[in-house]
Amino acid sequence: MGIIATSRLKSPWIMHFDNSSCNGCDIEVLACLTPLYDIERFGIVNMGNPKHTDVLVVTGPVNRRTARVLKNLYDQIADPKMVIAVGTCSISGGVFHNCYNVLGGVDKVIPVDVYIPGCAARPEAIIDGVVMALQKLAKLQGVAL
Amino acid sequence: MNAWIIAIVTVIVAPFIGGFLAGIDRRITARLQGRFGPPILQPFYDFFKLLGKSKIAASRLQLMWIYAYLVLMITALLFLVLRLDILLMMFILGFAGVCFALGGFSSKSPYSHLGANRELMQMLAYEPVLLLLALGVYAQNGSFLISQIYASPTPLISRLWPIFIALLVILTIKLRKSPFDLATSHHAHQELIKGIMTEYSGPYYALIELTEWYEIVLLLGIVSLFVANPLWVGIVIALAAYLLELFVDNVTARMTVGWMVRFVWAVGITLCILNLIWFWVFAAIKGVS
Amino acid sequence: MLPYNWMMAVAILLPVVAAVLVYIIRQYHARGVIVILAAIALIVNSILFLLHGKDTFSPANAQMWDMVVTVLDYLILLFYIYVGISLKNWLVLIFALTQIIPLAWFEFGMGGRAALANVSPTFVVDHLAIVMCLVISIVGSLICVFAIRYMYDHEHHLHLEKSRASRFLFWMVLFLGAMNGLVFANNLIYLYFFWEVTTLICFQLIAHDLTKEAIDNAARALWMNSIGGTALIIAMVILFAKGAPLSLDGILSGGVASAVLLLPVALLCFTGMIKAAQLPFQSWLLGAMVAPTPVSALLHSSTMVKAGVYLVLRLAPAYAGTRLSIMIALVGAFTFMAASGLAISQTTGKRVLAYSTIANLGLIIACAGINTPLAITAAILLIIFHAVSKGLLFLCAGTIEHIIWSREIEDMEGLAAKAPLVTVIFAIGVLSMFLPPFGMLLGKWMALESASTIPLAAWLFVIASAATIVFWAKWLGRFLQVLPKLGAKIESLSLSYTVPLWLLVLGIFGVGIGVASVYTGLVQNAVADVVTSGQALAVQGWGLTVNGYSAVSSTANFAVGNYPVWPLFIVFAIAVLIPFIFVAIKPGELRPVYLCGEQAGGTDTDEWYSTADVKTKVQLGGYYFQGVLGEAALNPWTYTLSIVLMVIMFAVALLAMGGAL
Ligand code: SF4
Repeated sequence: MGIIATSRLKSPWIMHFDNSSCNGCDIEVLACLTPLYDIERFGIVNMGNPKHTDVLVVTGPVNRRTARVLKNLYDQIADPKMVIAVGTCSISGGVFHNCYNVLGGVDKVIPVDVYIPGCAARPEAIIDGVVMALQKLAKLQGVAL
Repeated sequence: MNAWIIAIVTVIVAPFIGGFLAGIDRRITARLQGRFGPPILQPFYDFFKLLGKSKIAASRLQLMWIYAYLVLMITALLFLVLRLDILLMMFILGFAGVCFALGGFSSKSPYSHLGANRELMQMLAYEPVLLLLALGVYAQNGSFLISQIYASPTPLISRLWPIFIALLVILTIKLRKSPFDLATSHHAHQELIKGIMTEYSGPYYALIELTEWYEIVLLLGIVSLFVANPLWVGIVIALAAYLLELFVDNVTARMTVGWMVRFVWAVGITLCILNLIWFWVFAAIKGVS
Repeated sequence: MLPYNWMMAVAILLPVVAAVLVYIIRQYHARGVIVILAAIALIVNSILFLLHGKDTFSPANAQMWDMVVTVLDYLILLFYIYVGISLKNWLVLIFALTQIIPLAWFEFGMGGRAALANVSPTFVVDHLAIVMCLVISIVGSLICVFAIRYMYDHEHHLHLEKSRASRFLFWMVLFLGAMNGLVFANNLIYLYFFWEVTTLICFQLIAHDLTKEAIDNAARALWMNSIGGTALIIAMVILFAKGAPLSLDGILSGGVASAVLLLPVALLCFTGMIKAAQLPFQSWLLGAMVAPTPVSALLHSSTMVKAGVYLVLRLAPAYAGTRLSIMIALVGAFTFMAASGLAISQTTGKRVLAYSTIANLGLIIACAGINTPLAITAAILLIIFHAVSKGLLFLCAGTIEHIIWSREIEDMEGLAAKAPLVTVIFAIGVLSMFLPPFGMLLGKWMALESASTIPLAAWLFVIASAATIVFWAKWLGRFLQVLPKLGAKIESLSLSYTVPLWLLVLGIFGVGIGVASVYTGLVQNAVADVVTSGQALAVQGWGLTVNGYSAVSSTANFAVGNYPVWPLFIVFAIAVLIPFIFVAIKPGELRPVYLCGEQAGGTDTDEWYSTADVKTKVQLGGYYFQGVLGEAALNPWTYTLSIVLMVIMFAVALLAMGGAL
């Protein structure tokens, strides 16, 4: 299991799902891919497909329409999987709190491992959040990061 | 007995070479894009991580074909290292491609279906060139056996350089590089999802990665045949070709399927046929004199 | 063992008797028993021929048989005239007249009858003929057995008041006898007679359903093949005028300078090409698809079209080394390429099969034209492999048609779930058509390795090979596209369906794995009947080795190619069969396919929520490229080029003949 456990920490593939954000956080997520931040240094790759994903990165508040989609996508991810909620909206609903169509944060629908606050969350914070998720995974597996 | 040892060593060593090359690919690509890039061993991390994921699948049939893809790719590679018939090797490589496409067809997924259809179009484009390459080898050596390529004093490239250029075009398709990364891509995660590989996940996806590593070694091995004596020159040329492909990958954008077929047929097949015509005329002149 | 004249009688006359019995006895079970008994007798008899080896035969009371043949010849031609008039199809009428008038003039005016009566022996049963006889008797008989039940279901589905299955089986069984006679015949008038009988039966079988389309297409098959018959008669006239013998072995033994014979040989090959549906004559075979599927199976795999390639192959020594040989290779190779390309655009399963048949016949004819020992070996092996694989595919197509009552490829989507058994058999058939380690690929491989003498043919082969991969894989892909269902029920089918299917599957693996034995025991001798120089293929260890034979490698003594048969079958088993049996999936491991998270349900759904939450079915389709590769787009080109090729073929023969005179 050793080599697989280490590899897990070195190759987190993410999928980015946008519930109903203002797109602010989404731009910041994409900024992580740019040469300035270059998350591929950590082996992070932005996949477009739950079947290839290890870490689900969710932005924006869950609304009545996206709740179903979010759940579906989460179910299609193979274990072990982590979920990161990026931005205030995805934590609590943020500025959209109490809107007629908004259910609230992502954890209303699926379990969340790491919350990254901010409006919008900065790329550094997002990268930090992914690393935190990995630390959590490492602790679960009992290996050092 | 010797052949068995060569075969076993190949099966064990080839993935390491292929994975290492894939790692270099990602590093160089990152540098070309002004990034730092992942560690060289990143493909291996990805591979083992995928192995450790839980198994999920969309249908039983799609899994079956992926094993076939792997086994046939290894077989084609063994044909190369055991120096058997090059024409038959191309057919086996074609079989591997068909299995991969059938895997894509075996689930009711629009994305993998799209990828599988495109994979077949890619085969329509590159298969003639690979077969013509084999015919070119025969035209020069009078034999389809790879062992004869090694035995022959004149390197293939001296007379088959047009076919060599055509092979470089094909290499772009086979390595799934831009502008021909149509069926699936190492970069197009959003618009193609993952094309033909969409429905494979976890360990099954790892098998595809493994097959791709074998494929890299096989393809570069075919390139190296063009200067078989001394072998190290051939290997240097193959590595140079690989670098060229990376460069092409980063400076071009993906084209359409129709454009690909037209381009490869117009350039690749024409080059091959001109090359073979030259041989024919040459033989005719020699026969007359 | 049976006496030889009895063996000949069983091969040619027993089908006639069985056919008549089938026609008279209209009871389903009794009819079936007769067909099965006749099938067994024919199969055993063909094996007896194999054991007996090469021989010749002339019937004891030759005059009576000559009389019978002559009378039947004219009756058949008069029937064509009747068909032409009653259908008001002038082409049928014209080409019936172009046969009957020259034939009568030749036999009675020129005195050809005496010359024909002098021909001895009447039948030559050499190894090539034995190979053909085995193919006809084994594959053909299995198809007839399949037809017993098929016609029952077919008529049931059409709600026919009065069964016409007896008539159908009558012609089917008769076909086998006519084909056996055709491949044994040495005397040209016997050849012509059996040739016309197959044309007649073909007409009757295509027209069987009596719809307008069926009758039109049957008439087309009739007039096109009548052109062939006309060419055969003209060839006879020329041969007679030049004082050449009126027998196949006479033409081949080269009693007269071969250049003089080139035109009649070209005419005979032309006759064969029409029967083998080479471009531009492919439309009759495509039209023949309207008939019930056993007809297609019979026409495509073991009879009719195989008669065409047989004749071209048989005559190979007569045009060896001439420009005519090159032209024949090009006509075949062009057909191979064009038909493979056209097959990509076809949306009907049976039409894809038809184009694939035309393509493979083109390949066989091209091999005959290449005319090296290796190419001839490839051609004969291809005849065997193609008969088995194509027979299986058509029977599968028929079975599938009776499961989904459609011939459209798009309707076959997900058949793997509806009928897993047939799908597996069909998949084996398809894989055996174009992939290693199966025989068809072996043949194609040999053809390519031998094609270096005619580079243009090799290039056409290469393009055709690529197209072949596309259309087969595309079709197979439609079958496999299923929703995950665990423990799918295996459909139950009548034994009359499954026994022929399984026997043919067995045959595919049998001739594939045992290709070395098939080669040494059967094909090698047949090749020696056609080409005398050298032996191109050697059985070595677990595989086949191609020996150096061409000018390029004359100085070296290394092998040209190597085909490891058994290792490839082991690889196939590891790659496909073992995963097929052992790959398992637990219910918990199934996930729905990726539909952007909008899938409307669990793993067994193919619906997703579209705009305004409307459930929408996922619809997938294949690529057909009708705009680029469709018949409308390509046919003007293929017709023009193929007609040009045919004209050049005749010009070459005429020039050679003119030069010789
Ligand atoms: S947290 Fe702020 S920036 Fe992010 S989606 Fe919500 S409103 Fe937009």
